[in-house]
Amino acid sequence: MTATSSMTAAAKARENAGRFDPSRVPDTDTGHLWRSFLTAARLGWLMEANWTDPVLFFIYSVAKPLASTFILVFMLEVIGGAAGRDFRGFVVLGSALWAFVISGMSGLAQSILEDRERYRMLKYLYVSPSDFIVVLLGRGVARIGVGAMGALITLIVGIVVLGIRFDIGAVDWPLLVVVMIGGLASIVAFGIVMAAVCMQTRQEAWSYPEAAAGALFLVVGAVFPLSVLPAAAQVLGLLNPLTWWLGGARQALFPGGQTSIGGPGSVFAEVFGHDRPTSGEIVVALLLTGALVTLASSLIFRVSDRRAKEQGLIDRTTGT
Amino acid sequence: MAETSLYVHRATRSPAEAANWDRRQVILNNLRSVAGRAYPRVRGISREKSWLAFEILLPFLSTSAFVFVYRALKAPPEYIGFVVLGGAMTAFWLNVVWMMAAQLYWDKDQGNLELFFAAPMDVMSVLFGMAIGGLVMSSTRAAAVLLIATVLYGVQFAVSQWFLLLLVFFLTLSALYGMGMALSSLFLMWGREAWHLTQLMVEPVYFISGLNFPVGRLGMIGALAIATIPLAVGLDAMRQLAFATGPGPTGTPPPAVEALILVVMTVVFIWVARLMLRSLERRARQEGRLSARGR
Repeated sequence: MTATSSMTAAAKARENAGRFDPSRVPDTDTGHLWRSFLTAARLGWLMEANWTDPVLFFIYSVAKPLASTFILVFMLEVIGGAAGRDFRGFVVLGSALWAFVISGMSGLAQSILEDRERYRMLKYLYVSPSDFIVVLLGRGVARIGVGAMGALITLIVGIVVLGIRFDIGAVDWPLLVVVMIGGLASIVAFGIVMAAVCMQTRQEAWSYPEAAAGALFLVVGAVFPLSVLPAAAQVLGLLNPLTWWLGGARQALFPGGQTSIGGPGSVFAEVFGHDRPTSGEIVVALLLTGALVTLASSLIFRVSDRRAKEQGLIDRTTGT
Repeated sequence: MAETSLYVHRATRSPAEAANWDRRQVILNNLRSVAGRAYPRVRGISREKSWLAFEILLPFLSTSAFVFVYRALKAPPEYIGFVVLGGAMTAFWLNVVWMMAAQLYWDKDQGNLELFFAAPMDVMSVLFGMAIGGLVMSSTRAAAVLLIATVLYGVQFAVSQWFLLLLVFFLTLSALYGMGMALSSLFLMWGREAWHLTQLMVEPVYFISGLNFPVGRLGMIGALAIATIPLAVGLDAMRQLAFATGPGPTGTPPPAVEALILVVMTVVFIWVARLMLRSLERRARQEGRLSARGR
């Protein structure tokens, strides 16, 4: 009691003397975390957008997802012609939503690379009183916002220009809200994994997040039904939360349309005994697989963080 | 005893005379610069193990996704081959965009650019070194994607003119890297927009180059792409030559004409690169602002 009183008195004495007292740094309260997150998000947005003409920035932001969609739409046109147009809604929605995945996965990883290799600020951010992962998440949010804009524009172009039949009155809004929240959380978890990877790699890892997203593209039923894949790849897809997110979003926006998860002869149909998943099954599967991926990402990030500290990778710069 | 090296290989009476290099010294010095700039890229292949996964395995899976799109549509087998060939060529395009076009800008941020301008060499040597190193790096990825996908998806090539096919392939690479050399100066001038430009030059260029379908199906846009983008013209020529029994004429020029277009592109791009680099070098020396970071 006496010791505690004397320590408090000493701390007060230091405060009175205007000195820095590490024990007084508020590093755990929610308000502080929230402020760190908002500051990082604002910084991320300014770094993304403050230097360019808004029209130019808009073009940059939507050109990529639109071009990806047009590639697939042309593939449908070349092979399927008029018959392929029934498949357009499936492809456009998957391609539009994929903009979230690319921006979410790359946002966090590239903030590590930018801060370490280009601006050389990572070491200062790392030792600041803010929680490092909160700062990273904040930085990633800006790019997810850009991805959301790309996804929305792609959907609008799909409906207005490509003639996709869409009935806003038929949308299952509760399902859409739930799967979007679960899906975005899973995307952020994958982004954390990529950030962990990029902490260990060299400067030319700029393209790694997109490479990883491209690989996931194969097994999640983004632009073709899982049933065309070999059984083992279908199982991998069913264990991935992005599969259930995309399947749920399709079910919510185009009720009764083609499913990406089930279908005759699919692994899903064999295991569950029916051709397409119900909304309840989608939500449960998304939450379960999303929770697993989130836990795994947290673990991977901690391991990477510890190794980065041990190996001195926080302030390393590289280049070829 | 007189020292013999690239820099001191003849006795001179004054430092001023020593600084007056003969042709042999200039050529050897520039060749060493090319080798020196290519070295980290070639050595980097074996030093960074993550590269194997992220530059070979994952892009292969990405290519596979488009194979399965065609399979879902029950497309003729030649189209699977189109996707595989396109997937292999993306390795070179990504390398040109990320590690050629944007490279001088990254070098400026890292503080290397001012060293390049200050060093006693032609800066074109640095660009050639970057191109050669990048080409070696990308070749391994392209070969892996082509080989694995060909075996796994049973792609049947029907090559009618091997010599022309190889010629077109090498001309495509020279035009692509020539374009990268020209773009590197432009990206440097555009400064902070370089990052977004690299983004703009991936999927949109894939689309107008007809990466996964015959470029001729794009009509006027396809014709423009053939006239300006080496990836578009090279891919179209290689598809015509590698899948001679393919889906028939798509309205694009024959491979021999496309080879000539590639020759013209190579010459023009390298000439433009040289011109722009000279201009940049002059500005860097006169204004002293070009190598300032954060611009």
